[in-house]
Amino acid sequence: MKKYYPLVRQLHLYLGLFISPFILIFSLSALVFNHVDYINQVSPIKKLPDIKTRLQRIPYDTTDLATAKAILRTLNLDGEVDFISKDDDHISFPVHKPGLLTKIRVDTHTDSVVITRQEVGPLRAMTYLHAMPGQHNAKMRGNSGFIKVWRVLADTAVYLILFLSVSGVFLWWFLKVERTLGVYALLTGAFLFIGLLLLLLYPFP
Amino acid sequence: MKPALITKNLSYWNRKLHIHLGLVLLLFIWLFSLSGLILNHGGWEFTSFWEQRKETKTVTAVAGLATLDSAATIGAVMQQLHLTGEVSQVTFAADSVDFRVAAPGRVSDLHVDKKRGVCFQKQLLYNGWGKLRGLHTFNGANKEHPALQPTWMVTQIWRLSMDGIALGLVFLCLSSWVMWYKLGKQRAWGAGVLAMGLAGAIYLVLLLKMF
Repeated sequence: MKKYYPLVRQLHLYLGLFISPFILIFSLSALVFNHVDYINQVSPIKKLPDIKTRLQRIPYDTTDLATAKAILRTLNLDGEVDFISKDDDHISFPVHKPGLLTKIRVDTHTDSVVITRQEVGPLRAMTYLHAMPGQHNAKMRGNSGFIKVWRVLADTAVYLILFLSVSGVFLWWFLKVERTLGVYALLTGAFLFIGLLLLLLYPFP
Repeated sequence: MKPALITKNLSYWNRKLHIHLGLVLLLFIWLFSLSGLILNHGGWEFTSFWEQRKETKTVTAVAGLATLDSAATIGAVMQQLHLTGEVSQVTFAADSVDFRVAAPGRVSDLHVDKKRGVCFQKQLLYNGWGKLRGLHTFNGANKEHPALQPTWMVTQIWRLSMDGIALGLVFLCLSSWVMWYKLGKQRAWGAGVLAMGLAGAIYLVLLLKMF
């Protein structure tokens, strides 16, 4: 096994360096998810002026997503359509890009449209990426190019993290001076892990 | 102490911490990686949980609620029903209280009729995959009222653990940059790889919205 050590070490180094900025996105956004109140204080959402305009030639007789994308094209906007709400008089939908949330509301009788925009900042941009593609609205998720790319990147990040963790264990095992302390570190982690899972999944009444 | 010695010491501890912190976090990294993958692939049949859920509806008599205020009612009902978990979605009416008690893999929606002294409970129990998903997202955060803190001590402990894991991962990344920088002649390749990753991340987080 030791003959693989140099190769594994190189892969651990270079793949780790490549994926580290994405791991930072996931890690920092986890902190933001857990401390929304604090983030709201240090990085308030900035509301941009509303835009009112009128559309022309929007096809309402197709799927909701196709209609939403046609509206976006007409408005010269793009981004990931999160979900679509529709009633007899309106079609409205939020469009996301990391750091920018745009909400579009179209009166389907008059074709008048109101666009509201919010600059949410880089921290919330990271939480958006962290949560994408996610478990909701799976059928329409990935309706923009960047989410298609991000979906692959997010999966790649996870597989690389798994590789880095396994290769890290492999590399540690061959460092004889670190072996004893490493076993204690593993046991400490396992003790914390099992203890926390027991607390969460089998709590005392 | 000479600057060179300080740098050497820092470098030594940086490497040592990188190795051992990584080992402490190993199982947590696997947990969050696997659960993140499952959350992003709702179509994977073998990880489905919603169809396998166990749903029960029960009506239970609850005593001594008449004189209690709404918050105390919730506590009393949870105690009498032996329920633990994060309380959310609380709505009060004159003679009733509605609320949810949740933990990873378990959700109970309760309606308490204080006048009649009964509690209607609808409970959902998920399988192991459902619990795994729950562990990834369970932090007690309230989107509508962000200032509200978790109501359950276990949620607070889990949230603190998630913070610790996130900070640990930040350290692992930054310490890897330090170790790469110390490499000398191999630095150029690493710089290229790191620059590619950084460019992608910066584009997505900061620049994409401008185009």
